[in-house]
Amino acid sequence: MRRALLAITGLAASTTALVVFKAAPGTGQPAQEAPTAAEGPAPAARPEEATPRASTSPKPTRSAPRASRSASSGAPKTPAASRTGPAAAQPTASTVVGPVVSNEFGDVQVRITVVGDQIVNAAALQLPRRTAQSDQRSDQVDSRYSGAVGMVVERQGADLDTVSGATATSDSYRRSLQAAIDQTR
Amino acid sequence: MSVDTLTRPGLRRVEHVMGTPVSLDIADDRPTTELAALADEVFAWLREVDARFSTYRPDSEVCRFDRGELLLSEASADLRRVLERCADLWGATDGFFDAYATGGLDPSGYVKGWAVQVASDRLRAAGADNHCLNAGGDVRVRGHSSTGLPWRIGVRHPWNPSAVCLVLTGTDLAVATSGVYERGPHVRDPRRGAPARGLRSVTVVGHDLGLADAYATAAVAMGVAGIGWLDRLPAHRHVVVTDDARCLHSVNLPLADNPVD
Repeated sequence: MRRALLAITGLAASTTALVVFKAAPGTGQPAQEAPTAAEGPAPAARPEEATPRASTSPKPTRSAPRASRSASSGAPKTPAASRTGPAAAQPTASTVVGPVVSNEFGDVQVRITVVGDQIVNAAALQLPRRTAQSDQRSDQVDSRYSGAVGMVVERQGADLDTVSGATATSDSYRRSLQAAIDQTR
Repeated sequence: MSVDTLTRPGLRRVEHVMGTPVSLDIADDRPTTELAALADEVFAWLREVDARFSTYRPDSEVCRFDRGELLLSEASADLRRVLERCADLWGATDGFFDAYATGGLDPSGYVKGWAVQVASDRLRAAGADNHCLNAGGDVRVRGHSSTGLPWRIGVRHPWNPSAVCLVLTGTDLAVATSGVYERGPHVRDPRRGAPARGLRSVTVVGHDLGLADAYATAAVAMGVAGIGWLDRLPAHRHVVVTDDARCLHSVNLPLADNPVD
């Protein structure tokens, strides 16, 4: 009995620790431990990071219309829409949030969006960071890297043949080092 | 004949294909007409891939397959191979490389690297052993540059478009970079259905550019967890820059200062 109590207490503590750990990076202060290099570019990037973090759930408001449809049948707008017969072709979307389920890796919670009798979207609201393969970074992993932690090395590329980067558009290409390399040859 | 051509053999050409600028550098010392024919073949292949695999062209094979107008049994061998590789990658990346992440079929995350890899393989088969093909930042190099030295590949600095954070060197490398700095957080975490966060840029170094490209995209989608995942990826090396500007890389990365290759 005592052992069971201890085990339960331990589980609760570790779950709390997990939640706290998970919450920390999500609160919009991701750069706590960042001893960024002096010429580091991080400041410019932080505001942009902080804003979208706050709104992680993309479509949280879809559940409202359904409620209003059944409740406010007397309102002028909704009946007009439903009276046009084939309004069934455009049924309202509703969302259902499942319970939090725990497994050996952590908590899982799923939200589905239903239109008519079809699930049109499913998104995980909570997932453990640790999974079978995508493990979280640990000190052990850190120790297997060769230095360079804590700074971005900046270097001019005068003697380069090419540049690897996420060049999406011709506009970004024009501003890129690759374009400069292509021009000088 | 210009002085440049005299001092530096080979051919360089840039074209806009597959929605991205593609730079080709063939360093072999061969007659200009031969080099031009090789380059023509490379760009013709890439345009063909675009016509068949683009998700922006409603008449492409990928779009027709996605709409159900084309059965798998009717699809080309290339499309079937790409679909097979995407399915393999979905498993190999723990579901983070997802050709259906946006709803419909979009294998672009594999197709671009694969197309460049095929073009490079064909160049080598045609005897052009020394070349560098760069499609929108995904690079395949073989042999040596026209300087006679191994190719030098910069990894773009994730905050400064005119700087690099590392320089790699090698004679047989596929280098793919995926990052959120160009288009904002466009890489989606397919499990959460939300933009991926944590890693600003991931570069994967291997020998197959299609794989390297897909692995880089998957790691960005994983966020910080992607670092540990990359570390256990066999036969690949990587450079990661986190959102808080930390740069991590594999111990055996072929850095220009300390060549391992």
